[in-house]
Amino acid sequence: MDHFMSRRAFVGASAAALTIAMSASSSVSAQPKSSITVRIDRDITALDPAFRGGPHDANVVRAVFQRLAALKVDGTGLELDAAAELKQVDPTLIEFTLKPGQMFTDGFGEMTAEDVKFSFERFAVAPVDGKVSPYKADWAGLTEVEVTGTYTGRIKLSAPNAGLMTVAIGDCSGCIVSKKAVLERGTEHNTHPVGSGPYQVASVEKQRGAVLRRNPDYKGARPAFEEIRVNFIQDPKTTELALRSGELDFAVLPPSIAEPMRGASGLSVENYPGLAYIWLGINMQKAPFTDMRVRQAVRLALDVDQMLLAGFNGKAPRLNALVMPPVLGYWKDAPVYKRNVAEARRLLAEAGQTSIKTRITILNQPAYQSMALVARALLQEVGISAEVDVQEGGTYWDAGKGEAGKNIDMFLMRFNGKLDPSFLMQWFTSSQIGLWNWQRFASPEYDQLAQQAIRELDPAKRAEIAIKAQQEMDKSAAFVWLTNDVAYVVRRTNVKPAFLPGAIDWQLDKFTPA
Amino acid sequence: MRETLRYVASRLATTFLIVLGAMILLFALSALVPGDPATALLGPAATPEYVQRFIQEMGLDQPWYRRLFSFMGNVFVGNLGTDVLSGQPVTRIIANVLPYTFILTFSSIGLAVAFGVPLGCYAATHRGSLLDHLLAFVSVAFIAIPSFVIAIFLLLIFAIWLDWLPVMGAGEAGNWFDQAQRLILPTIALSVGWIGFIARLVRSSMLETMGENFIRLSRAYGLSNRLITYKYALKNACIPTLAVLGMGVGRLLGGAVLVEIVFSRPGLGRLMFDAISTRNFPVLQGTVLVVVLIFVLTNLLVDLSYAAIDPRIRRQGSR
Repeated sequence: MDHFMSRRAFVGASAAALTIAMSASSSVSAQPKSSITVRIDRDITALDPAFRGGPHDANVVRAVFQRLAALKVDGTGLELDAAAELKQVDPTLIEFTLKPGQMFTDGFGEMTAEDVKFSFERFAVAPVDGKVSPYKADWAGLTEVEVTGTYTGRIKLSAPNAGLMTVAIGDCSGCIVSKKAVLERGTEHNTHPVGSGPYQVASVEKQRGAVLRRNPDYKGARPAFEEIRVNFIQDPKTTELALRSGELDFAVLPPSIAEPMRGASGLSVENYPGLAYIWLGINMQKAPFTDMRVRQAVRLALDVDQMLLAGFNGKAPRLNALVMPPVLGYWKDAPVYKRNVAEARRLLAEAGQTSIKTRITILNQPAYQSMALVARALLQEVGISAEVDVQEGGTYWDAGKGEAGKNIDMFLMRFNGKLDPSFLMQWFTSSQIGLWNWQRFASPEYDQLAQQAIRELDPAKRAEIAIKAQQEMDKSAAFVWLTNDVAYVVRRTNVKPAFLPGAIDWQLDKFTPA
Repeated sequence: MRETLRYVASRLATTFLIVLGAMILLFALSALVPGDPATALLGPAATPEYVQRFIQEMGLDQPWYRRLFSFMGNVFVGNLGTDVLSGQPVTRIIANVLPYTFILTFSSIGLAVAFGVPLGCYAATHRGSLLDHLLAFVSVAFIAIPSFVIAIFLLLIFAIWLDWLPVMGAGEAGNWFDQAQRLILPTIALSVGWIGFIARLVRSSMLETMGENFIRLSRAYGLSNRLITYKYALKNACIPTLAVLGMGVGRLLGGAVLVEIVFSRPGLGRLMFDAISTRNFPVLQGTVLVVVLIFVLTNLLVDLSYAAIDPRIRRQGSR
């Protein structure tokens, strides 16, 4: 019988095929880059700007849609984007003129002032199908966008909103959608968005991410890369291996994963102060923390630097008040509390509390666990016995809300920030008790200052107001500020990324070859 | 034939009851789990109006049994609900990831059979030999090491040190070569434990069968050892192995989550895991339903295949 292939020939051919297969991946990385791959750590949920899921969605949204004016990379101000002119006529009126000839993708025509009106008003004033955006607060005070011509219009507010340019107009809530596309596509617009920006979405797949391709009709500066793959990679360790192997070009990672990658071939690791705020909160309405002296004792018993050493290898900058350095209203002279065991014990004795049993509620993430364990040991020394209650996300984010919030003792919390003091301050007003003000910090003075900060357009006066508000928070002793976080950016050395301060908000269209 | 059909019909009825039982459990437990889905899914920026609307859309203002009735009613018309966040139908979300899960599951089980059965046969026919002892040790080690640990080692060796295979993902759509490349490591990671398990099972089943009278009779008739081992003994030893494979397929369908996370591959396990951690109930309900259905149907197929292999079972069935 004639054999088609001898055993030896078969083995040889298989080995050759395997070698070609396995070398394919490495040969690809040697090609000049026309595309890059970046990592997001959460799956894409919705790419419609008004219903985006979080920073992971927002980073794609920014590359796909235009805004009247966009935040500059360094976050210092705005630069015109879809608008030829954008003018604050008075504190409650902004006029805009669009550049003509800006086309939406997929044949949805030219951008007009009617699209701008639809895009902004749908957040709250005129929600489509009754669906109010979760980002409604970004457009606080908007009453109407009046269309005065094909390309011109006026944004009218009921009261001044100092953060409008930074938080809404210049960022994702200011993205201009095609009215026709949103109405035609409905919820499909979440996965097949129609923009006019530098990139268009080629595909979105659950658990995989999105592929962005250069938009040939975009009238602005041409992005450097033809294609950007935005890959959802949940596991930081896999992200590390993908970066090392050259499959991934850019990621933001926790310090414990990123630090060991310093010096790895073809990789660059840089760390930036974050734009988030992490603190230990104390429920002011739960005994024994209703007594100011007990809260002060907790603050003096803790050693923030030790906690940061445990949670962030000491790489995260210390935060002493709510507003972090690059943001207007940073309180440079905020008190830096040092550990003082004797004073903490004295305060507790004065309050008649010599043996407190309490609980620190935290999210199940390694950094928080390490910090909570250190806090527990430090509190023990002054006679406060703390149990660390580690919860997974679904349970944790509900722990301080509604009725359950009345029973929470202490907690470690992290909020993402933006380059606007009012955005940072909004969660601590009395109206947020039962929602996100887990300290149950109720201060009429603070509430008033938070309102003033929104309405004051003079930056110097606004900074003063923000500092006063932080002083009110400090007086309460319900906040032990820890850090504004640290962002470790790991990238291939041949890719230069672009992002706003804090490295959470990326500008993918401004990524360039290094 | 009529008996077989009756058997299939009764098993399908049982399948329905199992699915219903699983869904009752899921809905009842969902109501007990702490944590508000609206908070978990929408985050701090959500307005009270949006949260309220969201609660209504998810049916969370209804008691769990009413949600269950409504869900099961929709299932019969092929509607598994809508993911409230993305607005996508759950059927589409599941349909997108299902092929990845099937490919990974069947390639892993296939690889486990391809290695486990010959190793088990060899160990059974060379009982007490050095290789038998070695295989016993290696098999137990394979079973004991969690698949995600193997996954990380495989990545370090083949993707980083040797740079032979890619680290992550499932490959580009339509590019079969790329997809096959990215399937190799996850398949090995998942199948290693099963190789050990199947090898042990085949060995013990074969040893038991080799001691039976019909094997002794076959030897007395002068049939060759090869024929006795591979035609008669192995065929009989296959029945318990098949039962285990049925369970294996079911477990891998929803249980490959850690390997899917390590290799960043889409899959039903990950979908279910994400849905649980974000309290995304519509996606969770749909995924659990599909996993239970596939699990039960796979085991039905396995049961039916016994009859094809063993005539005694066929005859028992017809009586």
